[in-house]
Amino acid sequence: MKAFLIGLLMGFGAVLAIAVVMKVRQRNMPMSVAEKADYLSTRRARMLPALAVIFLSQQATFLSTISSSAPHSADGAKISAWLALSIILLFALSTKGFWFERKEVRDLLDDENTRSNRNDGMRWGFLSSMAAAIAVYALTLFDAMVTARDAVHIVMTAGIAVALIRWGLLERRALRDA
Amino acid sequence: MPERLANRIKDRRTELGLTQAELAERVGVTRKTVNTVENNVFTPSATLAIKLAHALGLAVEQLFWIES
Repeated sequence: MKAFLIGLLMGFGAVLAIAVVMKVRQRNMPMSVAEKADYLSTRRARMLPALAVIFLSQQATFLSTISSSAPHSADGAKISAWLALSIILLFALSTKGFWFERKEVRDLLDDENTRSNRNDGMRWGFLSSMAAAIAVYALTLFDAMVTARDAVHIVMTAGIAVALIRWGLLERRALRDA
Repeated sequence: MPERLANRIKDRRTELGLTQAELAERVGVTRKTVNTVENNVFTPSATLAIKLAHALGLAVEQLFWIES
């Protein structure tokens, strides 16, 4: 239980630290609302695929322990850190994101094109989750041992990672000039 | 044959001497959205199309038309 809490706190702590660093860096750049929205929009396009890579790389540790039957205390920390990151990424996917910015900036960042790109990312994420669920179900037909936790982990990972990548790619394409 | 919404935003914007960022600020969207509409990557809603036409001093049908 203690390991789970430590992992959870570490996950939320890492995200908070990133937000603070971003805020401090922006303090030295006086910008209008439109300029700030443009700047953050570009950053988001770069950040989304990077976040997907970080999220997926976390899975390497999970997959290395999936077959071992005896749980280790470190596994609890890793799993809860993954859970914390998953929750934060889900919030970022389903809300306007940039929670520490002013309302005007956040509203501008969530304009029509962004909403369309995000919705498309969510659609791809949903379909990937369903595909992963079908794959896990098919695996169990061949007597493969997949616990409920493993199944949830795989389905969530597929959905979140694909949604992030798709949204990121669409944002990058939108920023590209013809 | 598929239909698409063509526009003359870039021509009109250049005529008025506006940058994408300036037009975006007038309409209340990011430069990215203006860029995608201008390049036919994104089909705008009726609301955004009307706002763009208004900002560029044209009627919607003068700014957008359907191409097949």
